Amino acid sequence: MSRLSAAVPAEQYLADSQVLFYLNDAVTQLLEHREEYTQFGLVRYFAEYFSSVKNSNHVLFREFSYIRATQHNRASFIRVFWRSFRQIGRSGELLSLLEYRSLLQLLCPDFPLELVQSAARMVLMDDATDCLMSFSDFIYAFQLQLYYQEFLESLLLVYQDLLAGKSPNTVIVPTSTSVEQLQSAVAEEENEKEERQQDGVETSTLSQCVEVLCDRFKSSHPSRSCMKEILEQTDKVSYSSFLLSLSKHESINQSIGALPSKAEVLIDPEMDQELDKLIAQISVSPSSNSSGSAVGGLKEAQRRASPRRNIHHRRRMEVESDGSTEETDSSEN
Amino acid sequence: MSDKEKRRSAAIPSGMPAGKAVKPDSDREFLAQAGVGDLLLGAILKMVEARSDDPVGFLADHFCNLASVTDGGTAECGDEEPQNSGPNSAGALEQQRLNRALWHLRLAHHSQRSAFSNNVRVAYDLLDVTGCQGQAGEAPGGSDGPCSGGPMGAGGGGVRGGLYTQTLQCLCSEGGVPASTSAPLLQRLCCQDHEAVPYDVFRYSVLTCAVFSDYIRQAQRLYAEVCCSDEGPVSRALCLTVLGTLKEALETSQGCDANRSLNTNTKSNNTKARRYLQASARISPHNLAQAMVGAQTRGPGGNMDAKEFENAAAELFIARVKLVS
Repeated sequence: MSRLSAAVPAEQYLADSQVLFYLNDAVTQLLEHREEYTQFGLVRYFAEYFSSVKNSNHVLFREFSYIRATQHNRASFIRVFWRSFRQIGRSGELLSLLEYRSLLQLLCPDFPLELVQSAARMVLMDDATDCLMSFSDFIYAFQLQLYYQEFLESLLLVYQDLLAGKSPNTVIVPTSTSVEQLQSAVAEEENEKEERQQDGVETSTLSQCVEVLCDRFKSSHPSRSCMKEILEQTDKVSYSSFLLSLSKHESINQSIGALPSKAEVLIDPEMDQELDKLIAQISVSPSSNSSGSAVGGLKEAQRRASPRRNIHHRRRMEVESDGSTEETDSSEN
Repeated sequence: MSDKEKRRSAAIPSGMPAGKAVKPDSDREFLAQAGVGDLLLGAILKMVEARSDDPVGFLADHFCNLASVTDGGTAECGDEEPQNSGPNSAGALEQQRLNRALWHLRLAHHSQRSAFSNNVRVAYDLLDVTGCQGQAGEAPGGSDGPCSGGPMGAGGGGVRGGLYTQTLQCLCSEGGVPASTSAPLLQRLCCQDHEAVPYDVFRYSVLTCAVFSDYIRQAQRLYAEVCCSDEGPVSRALCLTVLGTLKEALETSQGCDANRSLNTNTKSNNTKARRYLQASARISPHNLAQAMVGAQTRGPGGNMDAKEFENAAAELFIARVKLVS
């Protein structure tokens, strides 16, 4: 498509690519660690910086302001979080909000609690944020919350206004409270306030507001068609249930492109390979227990592992862009 | 990234900072001394010129290419020695040349004919090195694009078949074409490993692969448009109709052997132009919509998924590719 994009003026192309942001950060990092980085040459430094951005390896241990600065950074961080901690999902452990936040802080020291809380509220559908959550539930909610943070914040304001009984025409500008006060005299919906607060708001009304928000947020919002589809399924919807449905929607997941589908989110081919190797060692070792059935069982597990490994390897090639970040967790100290 | 860590950990114990005895006080001085401004300016200019779909990837490749040129500068001068010192270093050198050639080929889109031709020439000269040629056609410190590779290129006997095939494979896969889809195309274009590939054939094949990648991407997009995302695979009838229209369009434009592109005969250019117009009319939205409406009323049952559609579209294209003998 590059021949078509020649119509885009240079400044816009530069702005859209967010390259200046990365260059800025690269130079800042260079200045902070100049002794280290000038050892092996400037060109190589920039080559490695941009290669790591391209391969989504650049967000590990960076500050939160860097992570949230671009959509690519957000998606990369979600992916890193997934790769680092998917084992938790496999073990079936349920963790609390604070525990998830601790995990996030291992990767990003100043990761804010509010964002994790919002994600937890999405999963738990109410304010009881001390309940436990599964890894796969949490990670999709977390992904939506981080990737579309600004859009969701505006949506929440709109929702609260609708809940408070304001007519849709007044809630289009959430930040302009004076406009809302002026126009709140406009006729209300036929439903009563109490009902609204329990069940949520009319989906048709919310749908209109969502359209307006999408126009404002241009490309950093979930797909319009997906949101419409979800809203068409019920007459009324609450904020949390709407978001939860969004987080589980496969198209939205794919358009973000950071995580595999729910069926594959717990698959970890590298860990499988490590386990297979261990099993192989145990079964081959002469000092292992010699009961035939035990060895036979282990060998069978190893045989069964191979076709699975091939499938995972193929899926991994499709899903993952770079296979070397498993080491960085432990070695980046 | 593990490379970087190794270097970091190796550099720190050694302790001796290279170069400057006096550390500059201000950041600006440091950056000015290091020449960061010029380096970045050059990179940005190249990037804006290329207008790649992946600007960050472009920059990564640009700097890597630059780094390998400046690092490999010393290696290139002693070209004969590494060649004799075993298969490993020769293989690595070849890989480096392949990477650089690919980088050149990615710089311009194939529709930018003159820029693309120049880049193909530079890439060919790079790959054409058969031992004692030294730096074939590339200015040190980054490519300035077109240098007349004539005198240097004539020295080599041609690009080695194996290297040529590798180049094509990389082009297709980088263009987003899965290996299974590009395999039949490559079969038509490939040469034996030991054969020497002349420039014409090289150019033809590179152009074909570039066009093919675009074509497949368009086919994928076409499928995505036709398919409503959540309804699963698209009805077979619809897909067959769309493929039929594609085929007609290709046949129309094929009229004067569109693959032989650079003959500058003006009369044939006019005929070509007319045929392209006819072809594009056939795949105009209006025409396509009519065909699709027709398809929905009749047609065989069953669905066609994205992969099958892609393969069928690929087949249409490949059938028109000249076999390289």
